[in-house]
Amino acid sequence: MDTARLNEIVERYPAPAGKILGILEQVQREVGYLPKDILQFLAKRLEVSLSELYSLATFYSFFTLAPLGEHVVTVCMGTACHVKGAPELVATLKRLLGVEVDEVTRDGKFLLTTEDNHFSLTSARCFGACSMAPVLRVDNKIFGYITPDRIPAILEQFGWKESQHRGS
Amino acid sequence: MDLDALKAARQKGLQKLLPDRPRVAVGLATCGIAAGGDRVYAALEAAIRDRGLDMELAKVGCIGYCREEPLVNIQIPGKPCVILHRVTEADAEEIVRAVAAGDVPRRLALCRVETWDPLVGEKLDFGTGFDDIPAYADIPYFAPQRKIVLRDAGFINPEDIDEYFAVGGYRALYKALTEMTPEAVIDEVIASGLRGRGGAGFPTGTKWNFTKVEKSLRKYIICNADEGDPGAYMNRNEMESDPHMILEGMLIGAYAIGAREGIIYVRAEYPLAIARLTRAMEEARAHGLLGKNIFGTDFSFELTLAEGAGAFVCGEETALIASIEGKTGRPRPRPPFPAQKGLWGMPTNINNVETWTNIPVIISRGGDWFAGIGAEKNTGTKVYSLVGEVQRVGLVEVPLGTPIRTLVYDVGNGGIDGRDIKAVQTGGPSGGCIPASLFDTPMDYEHLTAVGSIMGSGGVVVMDETTSMVDTARFFIGFTHEESCGKCAPCREGLKHMLMILDKILSGKATRENLDLLEELSGTIKKTSLCGLGQTAPNPVLTTLKYFRNEYDATLKGAK
Amino acid sequence: MTQVIIDGKPCAAEEGETLLVVARREGIDIPAFCFEESLASYGACRMCLVEVVKGARPGITTSCTLQAADGLEVLTETPEITGLRKALIELYLAQAPRAESIKALARRYGVEKTRFARKVVKEDPLQNRCILCGLCVRVCGEIMGAGAINYIGRGQFTEINTPFYEENEACMGCGACAEVCPTGAIALEDRTDTRVMKSWSETKVPLARCAACGTFFAPVPFTRYAHEKLDPGILDALKDLCPACRSKAAARKAILLKKEGVIPPEPELQA
Repeated sequence: MDTARLNEIVERYPAPAGKILGILEQVQREVGYLPKDILQFLAKRLEVSLSELYSLATFYSFFTLAPLGEHVVTVCMGTACHVKGAPELVATLKRLLGVEVDEVTRDGKFLLTTEDNHFSLTSARCFGACSMAPVLRVDNKIFGYITPDRIPAILEQFGWKESQHRGS
Repeated sequence: MDLDALKAARQKGLQKLLPDRPRVAVGLATCGIAAGGDRVYAALEAAIRDRGLDMELAKVGCIGYCREEPLVNIQIPGKPCVILHRVTEADAEEIVRAVAAGDVPRRLALCRVETWDPLVGEKLDFGTGFDDIPAYADIPYFAPQRKIVLRDAGFINPEDIDEYFAVGGYRALYKALTEMTPEAVIDEVIASGLRGRGGAGFPTGTKWNFTKVEKSLRKYIICNADEGDPGAYMNRNEMESDPHMILEGMLIGAYAIGAREGIIYVRAEYPLAIARLTRAMEEARAHGLLGKNIFGTDFSFELTLAEGAGAFVCGEETALIASIEGKTGRPRPRPPFPAQKGLWGMPTNINNVETWTNIPVIISRGGDWFAGIGAEKNTGTKVYSLVGEVQRVGLVEVPLGTPIRTLVYDVGNGGIDGRDIKAVQTGGPSGGCIPASLFDTPMDYEHLTAVGSIMGSGGVVVMDETTSMVDTARFFIGFTHEESCGKCAPCREGLKHMLMILDKILSGKATRENLDLLEELSGTIKKTSLCGLGQTAPNPVLTTLKYFRNEYDATLKGAK
Repeated sequence: MTQVIIDGKPCAAEEGETLLVVARREGIDIPAFCFEESLASYGACRMCLVEVVKGARPGITTSCTLQAADGLEVLTETPEITGLRKALIELYLAQAPRAESIKALARRYGVEKTRFARKVVKEDPLQNRCILCGLCVRVCGEIMGAGAINYIGRGQFTEINTPFYEENEACMGCGACAEVCPTGAIALEDRTDTRVMKSWSETKVPLARCAACGTFFAPVPFTRYAHEKLDPGILDALKDLCPACRSKAAARKAILLKKEGVIPPEPELQA
């Protein structure tokens, strides 16, 4: 993202309300994460300390500091989805995507990316699509009433290949 | 805009809502789209175009019967509006062929609606006929419901202000601005008995007064649309299906309180709600309903939208304000309350989406009318999201004071595959689990608190015999532990240890002492935490310990 | 002036004054970790709980957020409050097992050990002593205006450090963070010509060298800050001197000034 585009985004928020988070959200959407050099640029441009922007970036779960995979698979972890078997979906997805790890990352955020950077797996607290629990989302598309056996067919729509991604 | 313009706009809207040719409308809220509503819409569009048929195709919001989606409304002039359910794109041909012939496919028909009362305007008379299709009021899912908040949802196009005008939209605002003083508006809201729908149930009119009496050149009102409770999605539907009702409620509130600026704080997880609210704001501005001198009066109001960035704690008022100001959402001690020092240090009034949506009808029909609905000190209706292990899931609007049993069995039709229902969880992570033996409990603020849970924002998650209550408690502690802002020690550290103990219990390695420590720690966190998140976070553990202690005991070391 | 009653003792207080401050002035030792008079009340450590027995909002609340008002009556050590403090101390003992001030408080309250799992992190930059009271963050940002450190993450994963865990040029090396830290968690070290903020990702700040004696005495950015904000009237000739040489130089300067007649004679003598 170049300086001109960044300035454009900054200027789109004339009202102070929601400004800083709005700008960071837009960068997250367009770039896929919050790169260090952009945060450094914004700190100067918005006259806030870099530590403050970094603090925001790590506090809110919408932001990531590392690039996400090409397709982001998000499992809803709301109550209805939990009751209806969301943990099983996560286990299945980890296996299918070959991203089975147990350790907790330093920031506690759940975000796993495949080696080829094709998929990222993450969770959300609730999509508000509880009636179709359990629910998962790939990029912006929501899939409801999911069972583990339906997942491969969904992933295939986004370029998943068993031979390439499945963990051992 | 003036009264004549408002009347003209209503006529224009009615021509869209009740056209003199057939109208086919697809329910396209987030859930409808995910169920395939967008594909149904595309298939219908193609079928109508290919045949060159003379009919309207429209988008509407969601009527709340989520289990039956995708839903399609068929309106043939002079005939009742027929709601089709579980429609797929393969049905499109059959539907348009039938509609072109003045009929509807019976196998898809859920129910028929002859007239619909939008409460603030004239009734919508669709027509009569199709007597073999069940009437709306005879459908068990709908029969116990009373639609006030969701009265337009699923009937009007949320992306077209004209259709909101058609159902009496902005008439209450006109009345408030031209016939009522700000004090009279507040009196009406007080008379209605409306209480905050965000969870705590504080009387709305009284709350407005706190900000109104502050002497300040600037005041703010905020719509809290950071619907954070997992398992609750009524606010999402209210925004996606009828965004103008929220705007109108806020405009009336701003006039009463004396605020000229407002902010809608929406969670980023709701992109469609954000898009529809943004569009609604643009349309309102184009009609002079936002901006300077609204309806030619001295009242001016500006509204902006701020997006949350994924933090449950931002539902707490002081954290929400910090977030709008571009800070991390860490609550601060109160007092001072937001009504005294809120956004940018100015007096600020915050209400939940559903609270705002109740305002127009209160102004139109009067506080006494509203107070006649519901129960003692619990007036009006509440929208619940009935989800989990229950047959009929969806959004249900019933008068406050309706027993849990009505919701779970009459509306929800009981457990899936004949399984017994064990409990409901209400109020999200701050709430508790209520056992089936207490299902006669009326759902109002006081009774739910008395059994150890809370109303919260209206999530009702049903659990059956297959659900482990210890696992459920662990789920909620895991949630609040992840969403704790980390500012105060009892919430940050205490929840961490609660989670560790619960994991130990679930792995069968816990002792009686561990269980006692869990209970003691719950009490400490409740009593010493800084904000509502921590003060209520142990509730799911405390209620499951109270009602399902045997499930904990069974896991203890040495237990058989 | 107004009067509040703390533990039965009438105490004079300014209207709106923080009750914790009033109590401490009266010699009543309410424990608190996150309070500093020059900063806004934060209410995070929850140790300063008191019970309001008479006042606008009766019940247990934090004394750092309670304002003095006429007729206010509080108790600072009831069995319930003591119990809650002990429970909090147990949590702190588990969170910061190496913090001596927490251990001392535990002894005062008769807490022998914590029943919770103790968290010991190898090579913790804050030496397993940080309780996240936030004083360092607030002092660095609000008082020093540097904003070199901040909270990172949230909930139990909250940490305090520099952005990206990298050396941060915003740090002036002033050490105000270490000064306010209630648990002695922040480590810094002067290595000849450099101050190393060991807790803050080893941020290095050059030390200024005394023009007279050659000793390294204070971080360069902080001396600049001090000259601008704390002591704007300082003579240029004194700026590059360490405090010891500065006082010597100040004395010499005065003598020199007198001798060279820089100080103008009294007007009447001139005439």
